[in-house]
Amino acid sequence: MTATVEVDVLIVGAGPVGLYGAYYAGFRGLSVALIDSLPEAGGQVTAMYPEKLIFDVAGFPAIKGRELVEGLLAQAATFEPTYLLGRQAVGFERAPDGFMQVTADDGTVISCRAVIISGGIGTFTPRPLPAGSEYENRGLCYFVPSLSEHADRDIVIIGGGDSAFDWALNLHPIAHSVTLVHRRPAFRAHAHTVAQVRATGAEIITPAQVTAVRGADRVEEVEISVDGEPRILPAQTLIAALGFIANLGPLKDWGMTVVAHRHIPVDTTMLTDLPGVFAAGDIADYPGKVRLIATGFGEVATAVNNAAVLIDPSAHLFPGHSSEAVPV
Amino acid sequence: MPYVIAAPCIDVTDKSCIEECPVDCIYEGDRKLYINPKECIDCGACEPVCPVEAISQDRRVATEYGDFVADNAAFFTVTLPGRDEPLGNPGGAAELGPVGVDTELVAGYES
Repeated sequence: MTATVEVDVLIVGAGPVGLYGAYYAGFRGLSVALIDSLPEAGGQVTAMYPEKLIFDVAGFPAIKGRELVEGLLAQAATFEPTYLLGRQAVGFERAPDGFMQVTADDGTVISCRAVIISGGIGTFTPRPLPAGSEYENRGLCYFVPSLSEHADRDIVIIGGGDSAFDWALNLHPIAHSVTLVHRRPAFRAHAHTVAQVRATGAEIITPAQVTAVRGADRVEEVEISVDGEPRILPAQTLIAALGFIANLGPLKDWGMTVVAHRHIPVDTTMLTDLPGVFAAGDIADYPGKVRLIATGFGEVATAVNNAAVLIDPSAHLFPGHSSEAVPV
Repeated sequence: MPYVIAAPCIDVTDKSCIEECPVDCIYEGDRKLYINPKECIDCGACEPVCPVEAISQDRRVATEYGDFVADNAAFFTVTLPGRDEPLGNPGGAAELGPVGVDTELVAGYES
């Protein structure tokens, strides 16, 4: 079933800038939805440095990333935005009535009158396994959402980070065998987890790389090169935990200009060259751009207020002072 | 203010940094890895994983490795041996693959 969400403004990217944009849209009396491919709001701050102190957000001499996101969520909550998390904005088209329709990867359709893209560095996707990527979903996977589907299998896990070792530890009790393959003898995973995996008796092979994946329909065996020597491992599940890469993903097919593979040029109103589509934060680009959370906040306020006028030409561009607004 | 890889990487090229980089902006030469300063988003994820501590912010590069700030950029702006034009900003190292050659400074570096 296709769900439809109808709002004035859709914000693509629920990082700090998108969250502040949600507050501002609410303050302007606009209904707003936020969509983000990550399962949690906060964007890069939540995903990469929740515990780091940030020193350059106005009004906060020092604030942890996690606390900044909590504050932004609380501020936005005043106006009850709709969150569409764990979903990626994929399709973009214009409806004849002037509305824009954005389709998410789960089929949700968001009908809106303005879009603000605050997508930062883009959407995070797993780094593909160079050899054998054609077996994705046929034995090769990049995530392990459910352990049980791998029960009784021979499992080969590629990688040396926490994900690789956590999955090895969790799958070992139910698997027929677990083998961990990493291209170097040192691991980035926590030493404690590495020790736990070693204690299970799971084989750890280093330095080794995957050279081929074989199987008639699904993965049946993995060929690795161990210090130059080939070795065949039987495998019905191959898990590649090679980290993540951010890229613009489907946004680059929406039709607006994209520069250097990751930036979207905007004018002084934060409008892109696609009518009704604004951009703000790290993804937006103009001469003299400085990529900081602080500048992103200003940009998204500019974008929302200009969107308000676009949606209702009789509206004022200047929102008035929040200190004079009627308390909610 | 990107991150920069200096001399300790030469002939080591551990590549842990490549796994950490969320924007895939660390490119593989022959003897050394190079960070594209135009693509680096300054997140710092690469710095702590380097086993030889070759990576630092450009403003904090040790004095003896000062030349490597410009040299990381040069890998992308100078036409490398065997190529017709500079690499520029390819937008991802995985797609480009190993470049296989180095800048003049690195190729002739005596470690």
